[in-house]
Amino acid sequence: MAEAQDFTLKIRRFDPESGEQAHWQDFGVELDPDRSVLDGILQVKDREDASLAIRCSCRAAICGSCGVRINGKSALACNTRLSDAKQTASNGAITVEPMGNMPVIKDLIVDMDAVHWKKIQRVVPWLLPEGEPPEREYIVPAEAMIDVTQSMACIQCGVCVSACLSLEVDPEFIGPAALAKAYRFVGDPRDDHTEERLRDLAEDPHGIYDCTHCFACIEVCPKDVAPMSQIMRLRRRATADFGIKDSNNGYGHEKGFVDIIEKWGTLHEAQLLPRSFGQGSAIRGQVEPDAVKQLLRDMPTALRGLRAGKITPKKALMHPKLPGQKNVRRIFEEVEGKKERLELNLYIVGDDGDQAEGAQAEGSGES
Amino acid sequence: MPHHDVLVIGAGLAGQRAALSAAEQGANVGIISKVHPVRSHSNAAQGGINAALDPEDSWESHAFDTVKGSDYLGDQDAIEIMCREAPDELLELEHLGVTFHRDETGHLGKRAFGGASAARTYYVADITGQAILHVLYEQLMKHDVVHRYEEWFTTALVQDEEGKVSGAVTRNIRDGSMELFAAKSVILATGGNGQVFNPTTNALVCTGDAIAMAYRIGAPLMDMEMIQYHPTTLAGLGLLITEGARGEGAHLYNADGERFMEKYAPNKMELASRDVVSRAEQTEINEGRGFPDGTVALDITVVPRKRIHEALREILNVGRDFAGVDITKEPIHIKPGNHYAMGGVKSDTDGLTSIPGLYAVGECACVSVHGGNRLGANSLLDTLIFGRRAGAHAGKRSKGSPMPQPSRASLDDEEARIRAIFDRERSGRRVSEIKAELGATMDEKCSVYRDEEGLREALEVVTRLRQEAKVATVDDRGTIFNQDLLGALELQFMIDNAETILVSAIERKESRGAQYRTDFPDRNDDDWLKHITVQPNGDGEAPEIEYSEVTMTQWEPEERTY
Amino acid sequence: MKLAYWPGCVSRGFTPELHGSMELVAPKLDLELVELDRANCCGAGVIAEHNQELVDTLNARTFAMAQDVEGAAGMMNICSTCQGAQSECQERLDADSAYREHINSNLDAEGLSYERDGAWWNKNFLWLVVEEIGLDTLREKVVRPLEGLRVAPFYGCYIVRPTRRLGFDEHPERNRYLDMLIEAVGGESVHYAGSHKCCGFPVITMARTTSLRQAGRHLADAIDAGADCVVTPCPLCHLNLDLQQPEAVKYVERDLGMPVLHLPQMVGLALGLEPDELGMDKHVVKTTDVQRKVAELAGA
Repeated sequence: MAEAQDFTLKIRRFDPESGEQAHWQDFGVELDPDRSVLDGILQVKDREDASLAIRCSCRAAICGSCGVRINGKSALACNTRLSDAKQTASNGAITVEPMGNMPVIKDLIVDMDAVHWKKIQRVVPWLLPEGEPPEREYIVPAEAMIDVTQSMACIQCGVCVSACLSLEVDPEFIGPAALAKAYRFVGDPRDDHTEERLRDLAEDPHGIYDCTHCFACIEVCPKDVAPMSQIMRLRRRATADFGIKDSNNGYGHEKGFVDIIEKWGTLHEAQLLPRSFGQGSAIRGQVEPDAVKQLLRDMPTALRGLRAGKITPKKALMHPKLPGQKNVRRIFEEVEGKKERLELNLYIVGDDGDQAEGAQAEGSGES
Repeated sequence: MPHHDVLVIGAGLAGQRAALSAAEQGANVGIISKVHPVRSHSNAAQGGINAALDPEDSWESHAFDTVKGSDYLGDQDAIEIMCREAPDELLELEHLGVTFHRDETGHLGKRAFGGASAARTYYVADITGQAILHVLYEQLMKHDVVHRYEEWFTTALVQDEEGKVSGAVTRNIRDGSMELFAAKSVILATGGNGQVFNPTTNALVCTGDAIAMAYRIGAPLMDMEMIQYHPTTLAGLGLLITEGARGEGAHLYNADGERFMEKYAPNKMELASRDVVSRAEQTEINEGRGFPDGTVALDITVVPRKRIHEALREILNVGRDFAGVDITKEPIHIKPGNHYAMGGVKSDTDGLTSIPGLYAVGECACVSVHGGNRLGANSLLDTLIFGRRAGAHAGKRSKGSPMPQPSRASLDDEEARIRAIFDRERSGRRVSEIKAELGATMDEKCSVYRDEEGLREALEVVTRLRQEAKVATVDDRGTIFNQDLLGALELQFMIDNAETILVSAIERKESRGAQYRTDFPDRNDDDWLKHITVQPNGDGEAPEIEYSEVTMTQWEPEERTY
Repeated sequence: MKLAYWPGCVSRGFTPELHGSMELVAPKLDLELVELDRANCCGAGVIAEHNQELVDTLNARTFAMAQDVEGAAGMMNICSTCQGAQSECQERLDADSAYREHINSNLDAEGLSYERDGAWWNKNFLWLVVEEIGLDTLREKVVRPLEGLRVAPFYGCYIVRPTRRLGFDEHPERNRYLDMLIEAVGGESVHYAGSHKCCGFPVITMARTTSLRQAGRHLADAIDAGADCVVTPCPLCHLNLDLQQPEAVKYVERDLGMPVLHLPQMVGLALGLEPDELGMDKHVVKTTDVQRKVAELAGA
């Protein structure tokens, strides 16, 4: 164990009973640098001010109580080392403030019911098997159970909710934790409402297509649940497996994009809008009333682009094929023609480093 | 006044299971927890849950292993019930959605665990407790027939004139309001008391609340001396490394590179009972064959990398985040650490305690299925089987009986008690200091090896700390999330736990299961094959000690080797 | 330095000024760019969403072509999104040899194969300047220090998250390279809330409100922090921050008018290139004020 060192914790205080605004307060702590920010906070409570409020229990990143923002980054206080926190601290003081995107109750405690649990409840978070259960267990592929265990590993700490950049601008977004929870059922072969769940999440304007793909949840998740990856799998299941043509253009955007690359090899931006609005079809995107309405909404933007010289009429109409595009098309045909989609989930297999043997690509159980 | 047919206090696995099962009986159920239910410490049960589900296995074999593991102190009728009902309970959990590991045929897969004669531990990676806890909570969200009181702290149980439990007094942590609940039955399920020790694998919430509350109204506590030290915990922090690691094949080495379990348990090696492995490690460390930090080494590198990723993921994280060790590449230093209370509120196989209307289930209870030493992966089973049975019993019982009208006087008393805490002079020791001294004392004097002298010294310290706790300084006078106040209340609960543990440990003048007395190194079936129970004996007096017989059905005590 | 060069789709599509300015900047930094003219789209996260094996094959193809460029020190891209999407594939390809072999088998027909090689890299222009050229070397080449120009860095999600995949363990400063680069060319890096947030582009067709509120909010924050312009290494961010800016105005209900530069444009200005050459007239939000400031610098 290393020598104890001095650290300064700059903690965001808020006491709703005091009538005062939230403010920062500095505390000095003395601890082994390998100990956690939570240990630091507990030392403050133990030695200096026991009124400092933070939820915490297990100290081992299992119970999910102590989500906070440390130097602005959402994290569990218990598995952030003081030494690491000090490195990202500006002016030497480690700042600790309550999680974002949720109302603050007191000091570092936020109201998770108002945001997080409400959204969890929204995704129908229980298994919906069809009919009577079997006499023994459900027989399901081992890979499928391991696969959903990644989202089962979620401890509902809310750290991803705190970091979510879509939630920041759209409080109605279902959010990373709840959508990861949704995948836990969509990916579970025992659940019998897969399509219904996917349709629901695809049609909700604040559902899977409201995720802006910013990786913030993946970055902060203390349990490697990778919520955004689960959201992308929800999209994949919705489009590729069930062909769900949602009214948010999620299906059209994916299909349009993929088709364009298959056809030209690189992105033909001018084609993406009508295809997105037309469920993947450029023709439908230019004739169907809803699609046309959306295209018209984008006309001023297009005109601005033309005026600026970014977009030329030629570029809008024509797109050069890559030299040797047939090779790209062949890859599309070959890979997409396979009976089972192959996915390598590094959560499960890890990195084989320099090991040559023993590494196996895993089918995800999706077929 | 909120009122429920069945009021469950504690929302870990035992509490949630009891609540769901009472609701199935049509009872109006309330469940109170001082933390959000998914924060409960059942989360920390990593390795799995035992059940003799395999046709090649038998509940009798599971029961015998459990009896032997308990060092013959477990009540065999209760153990039989638990092991017989285990397969159905497991299947029900599977049907509810727990993502149990499958074998290559798609059937439930299992792993080996300590003290078991067959591999019968079913698991979800090494997050089994978490997975089951979250799935039960899904069921609570699904069935809103169970009224949830999340972040409410119970301060006392309430009895009517005849001594029957009629409700509980609680504090809403979020706004500080005090509430009197009326209930036809109260089920205690607040878990263990590991925080009495430091270090411990237990979470900060494990302060033995229900054990103390039941004790205070006269419910006998049983087997309190039986405190399990888990063989693989991180030095300093006390965090748990699952027995599943050894179940997957990991080895233990001393500092000389010797696989020392050969000397202590030549057959089962690392998978002997926990008390046996912990004693072996402690002996190695005491005799100078440990590492300088007072540990021995757990080598998980023998487990294939991919298997670690899918089955020991949490340990990978714990090693990386809390010990700075990549368990796929190097051994991790561990030592025995406080982990589990085999004892608790004496209850029968339906969870009923000696007080009418009061049930206890899970770690706060003592049925006693674990006796002197609990087998790994039997704790989840205990919580679920007896949680379900108690919930069903209480649910049925509530039909037709009138709702009690607990007296407001109990609420007034508790409010006055809290006011008195706020009115204390700020001259006492800090709650945290008293707690730290308590934890260190218990770990020093009442751990793997004990003797009368040390236990009596510890009892003296605890007696002093009890007085200090009464005047401990509280900083926070607020109503919203006053954790300081809760800490002061918990401290008093912990001191009741500590005292009853020590008194029982002093009383048992033999070595059995987790209790190893260096001054009485042998098991003595003639004099001590019996439970020790303790009851309060008036303020300031030592607890009253009684004995009760161990229930034997088909297994006579034998010498215990692994 | 000779480099395999992957300009990406958008730099040759709706932000031609990016590709153009990169071509002018390269020789000034002694970079010889060998454009991968047969390489395909990185997938921009969308093909990954559609089919992982497909996107891994497509990017393995690009990497294989880059590895075939003789004498190249590595591969360079000029788009945060390309960086992130390609790094994601590379992570999987590098992690598991059996998987890599499988993906390479999809490329057999073309005679291509991606080889795992710890020394080979694919770096965005931003990383390349800091790590391969060096900020000291850059400083020496600056002929027009952008003194007094207050620049708000906008990184783009794909180049800053997830940090583990993007090599931040080895290069923790990647989190502030853009700030460092702004300072190196003499500008003043402006701190504001949005620098590492999302521009909203990926959901512009699917969740327009979310998308444009994001763009609008970050631009507003940059304005409030006193920035003269925003600079970004990502052309997709540029589309939402510049091309869509007049629309974003409607979602934040305030005036914006914040010029947004591509990273090579800013570097080009400092290296003495003129705004017109760098295509600064091809922006929706006029860069006139920035140009005037730069002109004043030249006059001073």
